[in-house]
Amino acid sequence: MVDIANEIKLQVTERSPLTLAAVLKNRWFLYGASTLTFFWIWDAAAVARIFSSGLPRPHEVALQLWRMLFDPLAGKSLLGHIWASTQRILIGFTIASLVAVPLGLAMALNRYVNAVVKPLFDLLKPMPPLAWISIAILWFGIGETSKVFIIIIGTFVPCLLDAYNGVRLVEPELYDVVRMLGGKRRDEIIQVCFPAAFPAIFAGLQIALSIAWSCVLAAELVSARSGLGFIIILGMNLSRPAMVVGGMVVIALIAWAMSQLVSALERFVCPWKREIDNR
Amino acid sequence: MKEESHPQQAKIVCEDISKVFIQKGKQRVHVLDHISLDVKENEFVVILGPGQSGKSTLLRIIAGLETPTEGRVLVDGRPVEGPGPDRGLVFQGYMLFAWKTVLGNVEMGPKLRGIPKKERREIAAHYIHLVGLDGFENHYPHQLSGGMKQRVGIARAYCNDPKVMLLDEPFGQLDAQTRYFMEKETARIWETEKRTILFVTNNIDEAIYLADRVVTMEGKLPGRMHVVYDVDLPRPREHTDMAFLKLRHEIAEASTLTL
Repeated sequence: MVDIANEIKLQVTERSPLTLAAVLKNRWFLYGASTLTFFWIWDAAAVARIFSSGLPRPHEVALQLWRMLFDPLAGKSLLGHIWASTQRILIGFTIASLVAVPLGLAMALNRYVNAVVKPLFDLLKPMPPLAWISIAILWFGIGETSKVFIIIIGTFVPCLLDAYNGVRLVEPELYDVVRMLGGKRRDEIIQVCFPAAFPAIFAGLQIALSIAWSCVLAAELVSARSGLGFIIILGMNLSRPAMVVGGMVVIALIAWAMSQLVSALERFVCPWKREIDNR
Repeated sequence: MKEESHPQQAKIVCEDISKVFIQKGKQRVHVLDHISLDVKENEFVVILGPGQSGKSTLLRIIAGLETPTEGRVLVDGRPVEGPGPDRGLVFQGYMLFAWKTVLGNVEMGPKLRGIPKKERREIAAHYIHLVGLDGFENHYPHQLSGGMKQRVGIARAYCNDPKVMLLDEPFGQLDAQTRYFMEKETARIWETEKRTILFVTNNIDEAIYLADRVVTMEGKLPGRMHVVYDVDLPRPREHTDMAFLKLRHEIAEASTLTL
C-alpha cells in the first residue's frame, strides 16, 4: 500500500488555557473593545458639543431611526425609503452587470470585439459617473430613470474591467492542458476561461456595488422625494443631525448586507476558492 | 525479409528536428539543432540536460504545442499536427484546474472526449487508485501538497489512455525528499501500467533511476543531442549501487553539466 501520510498537511488546532493574556489577545474581545471605544468617543464628543449641535448622541440616532420606522416622511416610512434606494440599485446594478460582464468576457476572448469596444470604453472610463447627473436629469427628467442611469454608468466600468482582466490573467498553459486532453476552443472557454475568471468577476461586482451606493446617494441628494439620500438631505435642511447620521448608518448596514450576499453567492459559485479571511 | 517489410515501428520518431524562435525585434533564437530520436514501445527514455538546453521545447514539439521549423515528429506512425489526446503531457507547474476536485481533474480527458459519466468515473477511479490518491477524490488542488498535486497531474494524463506519456520536469518544484519518493512512485506506476514515456529532467540521479535510456543534451543553445546511454541496471534500482554510481560518474564526466 502506498504511504502518502507524510505528504498530508496536518491542520492542528490547539486549545490554550484561559488566562488574562489570552483574553486580551482574543479576537472577539478586541472587536468588542474597539467598537465600544468608538461609541464612547462619539458620545463624549457629542456631549462636549465639539461640533456644536451638529453631532447627535448615539442613542438619539437610534431613537430617530425608531421613530422613522412608524412616522412616514414624504409619505414613506423608513423601510419604504430603504426599499426605494435598494430598488434603484438592484435595477441599475443588474442591468449593468448583465451587459458589462459578458461584454468584458467577449472583449477578452475576441480581438475584433475588443478593437471595436475598447476605444469607446477608454473614453468613458476616466469620467466620474457623477459627472453624468446633470445630463441624465436633462435627458430623463428627475424620475427613476435618471437615477438608474447613473448607477448603470457607474457600475458598468468595474464590471467590464474585472471580467476582462479575469480572462486575460488566466495561466495560458491551462489552455494547453485542455488541448492536450482532446478539447476544442469551446472547451477552453467553458472549462478554463469562465471558471478561472469567476473570482475576478465577483471582485468587480463587489466594487460595482459600493460604487452603486455612491451613485444612488448622489442622485438622490440632487433630486428625489424618496430614498436614503432624500432622508439625509431632508435632515440637513431641517437641521436635524440625528436624521442625517441615521441615514448614513442605515446605508452602511444595507450596503454591508448586500456585499455579504454577493460574497455568499461567490462561495456558492466558487466552492474551490480558498477562504483567505476565515481564520 | 518479412522483418524488414514490417519493421517494428518506434512509438515516437523525431526526424531531424530544428526549431528557431523569432522573437520581437526579429531576433532569431536557435533552440534545437537537428534532433533525431526514436523511442520504442513501452520504453522509458529520459532527456537529461541543464536549463536552456532546448529539452522542454523538444517535448512541446512532440506534444504538438509548438511546430518544428524543420523536420517532423511521428507518434505511432502518424505525423503530429497539433496537440491531441494520444499524447499525455505532465507539466512542471502541475497546471491543475483549481476549480475542479481531484476527480474532476482526472476525468477531464474522458469528459472532453464525450465519454459518458458513469464510464469516465470508473476510468478516473482506476487511475486515482493507481497513483495512490484513494480517499482524496473530493479534495480541491489547494488542499493538496506538491507531490499529491503532481500525482493528480500524472493520473489526469494517464486517464486518456494515451499512446505516449510526456513528462516535462514533473518533480522540479518538489523538495528533495518528496522528489525521491515520487521517483520511486513513477517507477512503480510505470511498471504497473507500462507506457511509452519520454521524461525531461535536469537531475542526473532521477534520469538514471528511471530510464531505460538516457539522452544527454549539450549545455548550450542551439540544443543538440550529446550522448545516448543504455541503462541496464535491474529494477528496482538503488542510488547507492556501485553500477549506478559508475554510470553516474560516466555521464557526469562526459557531459558539460556540473553534476
